[in-house]
Amino acid sequence: MVAATAFAVAAGYTVAAVPAHAAIPTITVWVDAPRLPGAKLYAQIMKGKVNVNVELHAQGDLVAKVALFNRVKKGWPDVVFGPPNDVSVLRDANDAMQLDGLASPTFWKDIANGNNWCKGSDGHYYCVKNDMAQTVLWVNTKLVKQFGYSIPKTMTDFAAIGADIAKNHPGYSLGALGDQGFYAGYLWPSQCPVNAATSATSVRIAPNDPHCTRATALVQPMLDSGVLSPSAGWDADFIKDYGSTDKVVMTIGPTWYGDFVIRPASSWNVPAGEITAYPMPKWPGEKVAYSGEYGGGIYTVSPHSKFPKEALAFAQFMVTDKRNIVDVVNPDGSHGAPTFPSTNSGNALWAAKTNADTYYSPSPFPAMLTQFPLIYTGEKPVSYDANGAWSIFSNELKKNKNAQAALAAYDAYTTNLAKQLGYDVKQN
Amino acid sequence: MAKIKKAKQSNTAMWIMLSPYLFLLVSLGVVPVIMAIAEIPTKARNNRNGGWGVIGKVIHDFRLVPAAEHMLGFVAIFVPLTIVFVVMMALMLDLNTSKWKKYIRVAYIIPASISGGVAVLVWYIIFEPHFSPFKPFLRLFGIKRSDQIWQTSHLVWIFAIMAFFTIVGNWILIQYGSLQSISGEVIEAARIDGCSSYQIALRIKLPLIKKYIIYMAVLVFAGGLQLFVEPQLLDTGVFQGISHVWSLDQLSYDFAFTNGEFGSASALSILLLIPSLIGALIVIFKTDMFEDEESAARKERKQARKALEALEAQKAVTK
Repeated sequence: MVAATAFAVAAGYTVAAVPAHAAIPTITVWVDAPRLPGAKLYAQIMKGKVNVNVELHAQGDLVAKVALFNRVKKGWPDVVFGPPNDVSVLRDANDAMQLDGLASPTFWKDIANGNNWCKGSDGHYYCVKNDMAQTVLWVNTKLVKQFGYSIPKTMTDFAAIGADIAKNHPGYSLGALGDQGFYAGYLWPSQCPVNAATSATSVRIAPNDPHCTRATALVQPMLDSGVLSPSAGWDADFIKDYGSTDKVVMTIGPTWYGDFVIRPASSWNVPAGEITAYPMPKWPGEKVAYSGEYGGGIYTVSPHSKFPKEALAFAQFMVTDKRNIVDVVNPDGSHGAPTFPSTNSGNALWAAKTNADTYYSPSPFPAMLTQFPLIYTGEKPVSYDANGAWSIFSNELKKNKNAQAALAAYDAYTTNLAKQLGYDVKQN
Repeated sequence: MAKIKKAKQSNTAMWIMLSPYLFLLVSLGVVPVIMAIAEIPTKARNNRNGGWGVIGKVIHDFRLVPAAEHMLGFVAIFVPLTIVFVVMMALMLDLNTSKWKKYIRVAYIIPASISGGVAVLVWYIIFEPHFSPFKPFLRLFGIKRSDQIWQTSHLVWIFAIMAFFTIVGNWILIQYGSLQSISGEVIEAARIDGCSSYQIALRIKLPLIKKYIIYMAVLVFAGGLQLFVEPQLLDTGVFQGISHVWSLDQLSYDFAFTNGEFGSASALSILLLIPSLIGALIVIFKTDMFEDEESAARKERKQARKALEALEAQKAVTK
């Protein structure tokens, strides 16, 4: 009898709750400027089904704002686009929802290659990767032909080309190491433990590991000869000396390097028909030619969201739907998602767009696809500002032109940052 | 009875005159300080269980000592440079009786209208060997590449120069104003007694504006400790990493807006309040800056008399 009453009450409650469910769900979405057209399009598409409030926020805003929202216990957005480390920061504050149950297994299978970053040490997903920034070898085919080089298969070949340029073609370049250039292009693919978190409270930062020293030793002669620059690829001096004068023979860089650094008129402005990409060269003795990653944003869903499924659906739209990946009109007149999508279905759609682009010759997409599942997974999200600290590395590298010393300076800084947050730091 | 009433009236008038300031003081000064203190023990990533222990963490932060060293190096250059230059220029301006005076005053105030943010850009262009209008001058010192200028070890000088030119014009005019307040009789008397212009400047005028100079020194020092815009802009806009968490205010900012650790940011802000408070107390109690006019005038006359007597005594000796 009691049980029956309880059931009736429960049933009555459920019935009473139905109208509330029938009301249109409302979600608040935070995106940065490049994601804005897609988000606005999604709001339009969902009109009548889900109210989507799109807000424009700089990527760096999130951590401080969430800390304040936690204080006043309101104001959290439902789903947020942010930089890769946000997932760790937000998980620390219990502010990133576990997402496994909110999307179909088909979706998780579709994104499996691209979402390792978001997988916690417990095996669950806490974010959805928006785009992939795996490094590839960007090649200027005109210069390679002119100098009679072949495409390097190993980093030793790459260094040999560097030595030849220094000797026979001074003034030409193999790229820039500043900002995260050395990290994403050399240290990470070489499996150097830079921010190798093993759990939420322990991280390995070991600049003297052989995987690190082989990378610093490889680039040092090229730094000395000026074939590799301590600046970033978009620094004024690099653009002036190498980029805009079409003197970069090849460079290791992320998937977005072509469209955002090599091509734009305000940047290197390399003429059409010269640029393509090849898979990463292997480090000596390795079986796999790993990539590092240079950026690649993520979506996180707030545990305070009343409609987490609808919130995640927005992220799914952004990484799988043709209307965002191919069709959406950007403010500069271009179409589609600006960067390599994280899902198999998404990047298959994106392939057509890139392959049809006559700027590249041939298309860089096959190399990107090869490297897509090969991002080395030893580097993990961390809660300290590991990305901001690369400015320390760049400054040190510019000053002393010593790769190992600059890495040591970076590592000393992040070790201090990590310890402050209570990380147990292993240094060898 | 009438007397009491009058006292009451003047009391009310005082409160009415004080109230706008009191309102601002409480709402923008006292309340934020109390809120900041209350914020310190709140939970954050570096203070998971909350509590006041975070103050110790801030004091032992690995960035605090370098930032404090930078700030001390900076004020050690900036404060004396500003004071000596300001006093010198103000005394010279006071001497100059030509009709150009008002134009010279304008010339002083113009650099002061360039605020911190703009000053970074202006000085970036001036120092940057590629763009500098003073290229030949930089070449003279063998400076041809930007990395010869933009090094962390040069920053105390670079920021001191930026801050110096931003505030120096204003202070020259203020001190010129304080020199104008010296009564002409005193100067006249000194002149009759045979003081040269140089002696008048150093032995009569300078002692008479001493308190204004101390006042300036304290304000310039306290302002210098709060250096933020210049290093922050240089780091984010011009040369990445060159002045990352270089000043104490930047560290506080980094706590709050990079890490979301508002407790640590508040703790450091409160710690930074202490030197400024000490400075303010020195101004109030150790100088006669805030004495009422009558007693100040009395003191001034006494000081002038003393200075004259001393001069006369000296003359007597030299005779």
